[in-house]
Order: sequence, then C-alpha cells, then structure tokens
Amino acid sequence: MIEIKHLSKEYHVVKKEEGFKGALKSLVTRESRVIAAVQDLNFHIKPGEIVGFIGPNGAGKSTTIKMMSGILTPTFGEILIAGKDITKHRKEVVQNIGVVFGQRSQLNWDLRLGESFELLRHIYQIDKKQYEETLDVLDEILGVRELIDKPVRQMSLGQRVKGDLVAAMLHSPKVLFLDEPTIGLDVGSKYALRKFVKEINEKRGTTVILTTHDLGDIEQLCDRIIIINHGKLVEDGNLDAIVDRIAPFKTLVVEYFDDQIIPSALGELIETNGNIAKYKFLKHETTAAKIIEELSAKAQIKDISIEEAGIDDIIRIAYTGDCRTQNTYGIHW
Amino acid sequence: MKYIKTLTHYFEVTFACIRMAILTIVEYPSSIAGWLLSNPLQFIVGFATIQFVVQEFGEINGWSYGQLAFLYGLSVISHALSMIFFIQGWFMGYYVLEGEFDRYLTRPLGVLYQFFFTQINIFGITDLLPGIVVFLYGCHKVGFAWSLQNILCILALLIGATLIRGGIYILIGTTSFFTRSANDFGQYTQEIFDKTTMYPLSMYPESLQFLLTYLIPIGWVSFYPVSSMLGVDNGLTGFPGAIGLTFVIGIAVIVVAGIFFNYGLKKYESAGN
Repeated sequence: MIEIKHLSKEYHVVKKEEGFKGALKSLVTRESRVIAAVQDLNFHIKPGEIVGFIGPNGAGKSTTIKMMSGILTPTFGEILIAGKDITKHRKEVVQNIGVVFGQRSQLNWDLRLGESFELLRHIYQIDKKQYEETLDVLDEILGVRELIDKPVRQMSLGQRVKGDLVAAMLHSPKVLFLDEPTIGLDVGSKYALRKFVKEINEKRGTTVILTTHDLGDIEQLCDRIIIINHGKLVEDGNLDAIVDRIAPFKTLVVEYFDDQIIPSALGELIETNGNIAKYKFLKHETTAAKIIEELSAKAQIKDISIEEAGIDDIIRIAYTGDCRTQNTYGIHW
Repeated sequence: MKYIKTLTHYFEVTFACIRMAILTIVEYPSSIAGWLLSNPLQFIVGFATIQFVVQEFGEINGWSYGQLAFLYGLSVISHALSMIFFIQGWFMGYYVLEGEFDRYLTRPLGVLYQFFFTQINIFGITDLLPGIVVFLYGCHKVGFAWSLQNILCILALLIGATLIRGGIYILIGTTSFFTRSANDFGQYTQEIFDKTTMYPLSMYPESLQFLLTYLIPIGWVSFYPVSSMLGVDNGLTGFPGAIGLTFVIGIAVIVVAGIFFNYGLKKYESAGN
C-alpha cells in the first residue's frame, strides 16, 4: 500500500549568533547549516497493517508522516501510495488518505460539527447516500451523531478528536495517518480512539499509520513498529520479535529475610534496596529457577517476582542509540 | 470533459464555502453592525475629501470632479473584490509559520484555491457598496454610456484590477516561505494601493509613475484603463487598448504569483508539535 524508497528530508537552518552583534552579523552573512531530519528511509507497508512510528522528540517521525501525507516535499526519495507518487500526483493520491493530527483540527471552530462534514462532503465529492451510510458506520463505533449539531468551539478535546477522526474517514480513505492522536486525552477518550482504529482496520481494512509516545497505543494497536532515531530507521518489525531481539532479558526481584544480599553468577545484580535485590538475566541463557536455586543455597529468600522486558525497555534502549553497538546494560549479547 | 468536471467540482466547493461564510457571520451578529458602519464610512469620508479639493482648485491634474468619482469608485470596487477573494494573502506568513497549510495539502484541491476560498470574506461587501455608489455617481457626472461594449470593458477592467491586487498579495505573502517570518504587510500595501489607485497617478513625481507603471503594475489597476476610457491625458497615450491590457496584466500577474507560490510551497516546513 505504501512504499518508501530512499526517503530523505533536509532543512536549511540559518545560524544565529548570540547578542546584538550576532543579530547584525546574521543580517550580512547568512550562514546556513543543513540538517538532515530524515535520512535514507526504506520500508514497505502492506494493506491492512497498523504500523506505529516511535522515536524521541525530534527524531523525524513527524517529518516522515508529513512527507507520507503530502504535506512536506522530500529532498530525495520516493513515496508511493497505492502505486502512485504522492509528491508528483498530490491531488489524486490524497483522495486515498485521511489525516488526523492530534494538536490540530480541520473542523470549523465557529459552526456546528455537521457543517464541517458538509464542506468535506463537497471537497471529496461524496454523494449524500454514501455520506449517510459512512456516517452510520462511524456513528456505531464512535457515537458521533449526538455531536453533529454541537458547535465545535463548545466541544471537549475528546469530542473534538472524535469529530476529527470521523472527518478524516468520511471519504473512506484506504490509509489513515494519525500523528500523536491520543495526546492530552482522558482514559475514556483514549479507549474510544483505540477501539475506533481497531474497528475501522478490521471492518474496512483501512491501513493505519500512527506516531505516538503512548506505549498503550502501541501495545494495543500495532502489529508492527518502526523505531526512528536521529532521522534513521533503527528497528522495524513485530513488537514481540523486537523485544525478543533487542531486550532478551528478564528481571528477577528477590526479597531476602535480612539485609545480606548475595551476588549471582548467572544474572547481574542491578539494583538493591534494603532487603530487596534485582537481578537481570538473559532469558535464552538461563532461567529464573536456576538463579533462585543458586541464591537460596546461600541465603534465605522470602519472596520473588519476575519482570518481563517490555516496550518501555525497548524504547529506552533504542532511544539511547543503536542497541547492537551501544550496550547500556553491561550484558553482552 | 474532464476539465468541465473539475470546474463544476470547484464551483460546488465554492458555493459550500460561501454558505459556511454566511453561516459564520450569522453566528456572530453583533460584529456585523460594527463593520456595516465603519467600512463604508471610511470610503465616504475619503471621497468627501476629493470633493473638498476639487471645490477649492476646480480640478486635479486635468481630472474633473465626475471623472475623479468614476476613478475613485472603480478603485474601491476592485479593492472590495480583492478583499472578498484575496484578503487571506495578507496573513500568509502566519499560515506558513503556524503550519496551517497542512490541512490544505492533504485535500484533493489546489492549495491556493483552498487558502482563499475556504475563508472567503463575505464582509468585503461592506467595502463594495460605497464603491458602487461613488462609481454610479461618477458615471452620471461624466455621462457614461451603458452600452454592451462599455459594460464588458468595465467587467474586464475589474477582473484585471482584482487579479493584479490579489497577485501582489500572493507575491509578497509567498516570501514568508523563504524568510520563515510573518511579514505583516497588509496595512502598508493597503495604504499604497489606496493612495495610488483612488487618485490620478499623474499627480505623483515621474519617477514614482515610472515605478508604478513598469515595475509594480499598480498603475494598471485603475489609472491607465480609466484615463483611456474617459479620454483623459495620462502622459502615456502611446498605450493602445489600456483596458484590454489591464485584463492581460491581471492574468499575467496572477499566473506568475501562482507559479511563485507553488515554488515557495515546496519549501514549506509545516510546524513542529
């Protein structure tokens, strides 16, 4: 559905120097620096996938999603959506995409929600019957009909995001782009949004691309994640597979009867707190049972628990750099 | 066939936009009253000044009172039309900086079209009315013949003049894509346009006349076409068919502005979250 080939985006940033003198100097000599926001991205997204883009602030996720939705022009490379280059055939290709940017609304602030939909109906040339049918389907998932006569300025953030989601889906696009859609939403609205994404994906086969900082979004929605850092693709794959590959460890938490804490030969002691100790071990090399056996031979254990490596570990490792060369945990794999 | 379909699509959207604009005005009725009073008043006062000057000196640079009313009225009408269709151009810098072009780029219509027409300024009508009143008064004074040919000439002139104004707004606004700053030029351009199109250009120094004839085509908004229509000496009598020229220059300016805008749009950087 989406093919990204050698995608790069460069920005020219004018160097600004400090103070009054610097400001005057920059008037005469405008030295500009080239910053590569995105460098040589390559990936392919199949129809019906839900793909999560993650990465720290300024990593290039927003730039990527904005290039994919036709907003930014790539410096190099190609973006094909349903086989067509969006940079060259913008008007034609965007007929197949819907876009919701969390902090931005495409709804008319002053008028009732229905008026914004009416304008979009004309823009996308949706006939009245088709429009009512689509609205029925979307209403079933999101309950949007009750909002249709409410002026957008009187809506809560949650309601406004619902309105924007429906606005983006009115023309039944094949691809839906969501840029940080859950930002600022309460638990109920987040749940509604995730349910919406799941259902339009299942019922209408819509391909969904989303960027988020919310781990819940990723765990509950994404079959596949793409991690971007410093404008480069760091990881691309199934969530479980990535966890297994770049964070193949578990943490054993042991509570002793007294303050005497014992090191283990099988796992690394990473944290102690009173009579509680945490041991990190590679799950392919050893098991928690073996470590417990080793420790209990030397000291009395009161209680144990096991922590799985999760998505936040992945993100922490991925964000600090390339996980395969920079090992922040002192364990070699 | 394909072009007709595209054209009908754009017309449909335009009507939907106009409908929304009217609904928005109705939503805030108290603001209408203020505009209805202040906008026409501004031009009536402006015209009263001309009347005073003419009464004192008899004429301005060979322009009689009726001819001045004709010129002033047409200029206000094209100003009003440019306010209705192109006023957003004044705020282009803010759109560039705030990333407001995002939504237009993700929709299957021309970006410049959406920028102007999804926010069509129906309030511009409040400028249109005094313009029409003064123009009709001028027509009466100069004994303007309402022949089909003359009516077509007036329409061509107004289209050309509105496009020149709009094109200049676009050209200035587009610089924001390169400077990444919001140049708040609306007030200044309005002042320049007012002073150079509502009064005969021939009362200004020759260097300024030259500038506004050949470099910035403001002279073509009203001065040259009106002087050729009314047969007043404009110092440039060598130009044949000045009204047709206004129309052609209008189209040329808007096409150049459109090309420049689309070039600038490639440099568009949106706004970070």
